[in-house]
Amino acid sequence: MSVPWTRQAAPVVAVAAVLAAVPLGVGDSPYQMRIATLMLVLACYAVAFNLLFGHTNQLFLCVGALASLGGYLSVILVRDLKLASLAAVGLATVAAAATGGFLSYVSVRRGFGVLFVGIVTLAVSLIVHNLLLGLRDLTNGETGIVTRGLGMGLGDHPLKAYYVLLAVMVASLAAYRWLFGSRHGAALHALSEDEVSAELSGIDVTRYKVACAAGASALVGLVGALYADLNGFISPSVYAVGHVDIPVLVALLLGGMRTLLGPVVGAALFSLVDELVRPFGQLTVLAYGVLLVALFLLFRQGVVPVVQSALGRRVPALRAPSSRTAAKEEVAGGTEAGR
Amino acid sequence: MLEVQDLWAGYDDVAVVRGVSLRVADGEAIAVLGPNGAGKTTLFRSLVGLVRPQKGSVRFEGRPLHGLRPHEVVRQGVAYVAAERELFPQLTVLENLELGAYARPEGARQRLEMVFDLFPRLAERKGQRAGTLSGGEQQMLAIARALMAQPKLLLLDEPSTGLAPRLVAELYRRLETLRRQGVTILLAEQQVGAALGLCSRVYVLKDGGVAFEGEAADLRGSAQLRVAYLGGT
Repeated sequence: MSVPWTRQAAPVVAVAAVLAAVPLGVGDSPYQMRIATLMLVLACYAVAFNLLFGHTNQLFLCVGALASLGGYLSVILVRDLKLASLAAVGLATVAAAATGGFLSYVSVRRGFGVLFVGIVTLAVSLIVHNLLLGLRDLTNGETGIVTRGLGMGLGDHPLKAYYVLLAVMVASLAAYRWLFGSRHGAALHALSEDEVSAELSGIDVTRYKVACAAGASALVGLVGALYADLNGFISPSVYAVGHVDIPVLVALLLGGMRTLLGPVVGAALFSLVDELVRPFGQLTVLAYGVLLVALFLLFRQGVVPVVQSALGRRVPALRAPSSRTAAKEEVAGGTEAGR
Repeated sequence: MLEVQDLWAGYDDVAVVRGVSLRVADGEAIAVLGPNGAGKTTLFRSLVGLVRPQKGSVRFEGRPLHGLRPHEVVRQGVAYVAAERELFPQLTVLENLELGAYARPEGARQRLEMVFDLFPRLAERKGQRAGTLSGGEQQMLAIARALMAQPKLLLLDEPSTGLAPRLVAELYRRLETLRRQGVTILLAEQQVGAALGLCSRVYVLKDGGVAFEGEAADLRGSAQLRVAYLGGT
C-alpha cells in the first residue's frame, strides 16, 4: 500500500512512452497507423474486460453491444439532435455505464453464476444486434451510418485519432493502477478469490461489482463512440460479438488476466497475428487458429505472467513467494501436525 | 445481546429452520446442538444474512439484523466462521487477517498482535498461502480472521469438523480464553462433549425447531437427556 506513486506510475509511463513513439516509425503509412489505432481500441476494451471478468468474475459477453451503444448513440445525438460532438460522446459514455451497471446489479442481486452471466449478456448482445438492424429509421439497419462530419473528425486525422485513443488507454491504465494501489485493490483481490468470504469480511461485494461494471462499461462506451468517429462508418456488424467480444476475450487471455499490462500486450499480439495471417487468403482462419493454439500452449497463464516470472527468476529480488516454496512449507507443516 | 424470535428460514419454498427462538446475553457462550440436518447451519446463515429469513425477527443489541446483507451484519459487530472455513486460499495468512479487519481498520495492528498471541502458529506462518495450511491451522485462521473484525458476537459453525481430537481440545482451549476475554460466542456443534465444556446454556435443534433448551450442566449430568435429544452421543 505504501509503494511510492512514482514507482506505481512507472510501468504506465513506460507503456505510454513506447506507444507514443509508434507514429514516428509508421506515421507515414495510413494503413499501419490504422492498424496501430485499432490495436489501441482493442487494448481499451481488454482493459475494461480485465476488470469485469478478471477481477470481478463478471463474464460480460456484451462488450461489442456496449460499444455499439456508445457509437450509435453519440452519432445519432449529433445527427438528429444537433448536439456538440463532445457532449454526445459524454452522454453515450454515461448511457453505456448505466447499462453495464444495471446488468451487473441484476446479475449480482439475482445471484447469477459466471456462466449464466455470460449467457445472459450474450443474449443482450443478440438483442442489441437485432435492435440495430430493426430500428431502421434511426440506424439505417444493415446499411449503417456514415459518420463523417458527425464527430470530432478523428477519421480525417489518423495521428490525432491515435493519440486520443492512446490518451484514453493510458488514463484507463493509470486508473487501474491507482485502484489496485488503494484499499479498494485489497477488496477486489478478496472478492475475485471468494465472494462469500469477502462479504463475510465486511466487503460490499455488490457495490464493488456494480461499480466496476459501470466503470468498465463507461470505458467501452467511450471507446465505442471514438471508434465510430475514427472509422468513418458504423454498422451492426462492426460491433458484432465476433468482431469485438471474441478478439477481446482472446487478447486478454493471451496477454494475462489480472495484470496491468496483459490487456495491452494481448491486444498488440492479437493485432500482430491478425496481420501476419492476412496473406494466407482463404487459409487465414486456419493459420489464425494454429497460431493462437501455439501461443496458448506456450503461455498458458498469458504472456505477461510468464515473462514476469522468467524475469523474476533471473532477478531474485523481484521474485514473489512461489507456490513451490509454499508447498514445501505445507509438507513441513503436515508432518509437524501429524506428530 | 442477540434475540431471535420465531425465525423461519430455508431455501426457495422449503423451510429448514422452523420457528426458532433463542437469546444470547452479553458475555455468554451458548451452544446449538443437534444432528446433521437439524438446521444449525441454515440458522447461522440466516442470522448473518447469507440466507434471507422467511419469517420472524433477529435483533442484535436492540437493532434488527434480519434483512441486512452479510457485510452489513459484520459491521454491526457479528462475525461468522462457516463450517467450510471460508478463506482466501491464494492469499497469505497475513493478507487474510488484514482483510478480516476490512470493516474495522482502526486498531487492526493491536488486534493482529492479539490474534498472534492467541494462535502463535499463525504468526509463524504469516507469509504462507492460506490454502496450503493444514486443516487445524485453517480453522485457527478462520477464527482469527473473524476476530480481526473485532466482533461483539462470534458465530462458529461446527469448528471441530475434520479436526483430530487433540486439535479439537486445543481449539476449545483457545475458545475458552476468548470467552474469558469477554467475547460472546454462539456455537453450533456435533461434538457435544467439547461444546458442553465451553458453554453455559444449550439449545438442541431437531427438524428445524428447538427441542430442548436449558443449562449445559443439565445435559452434562443426564445421560437420559443426551440420549433423548442427541442420539446417545
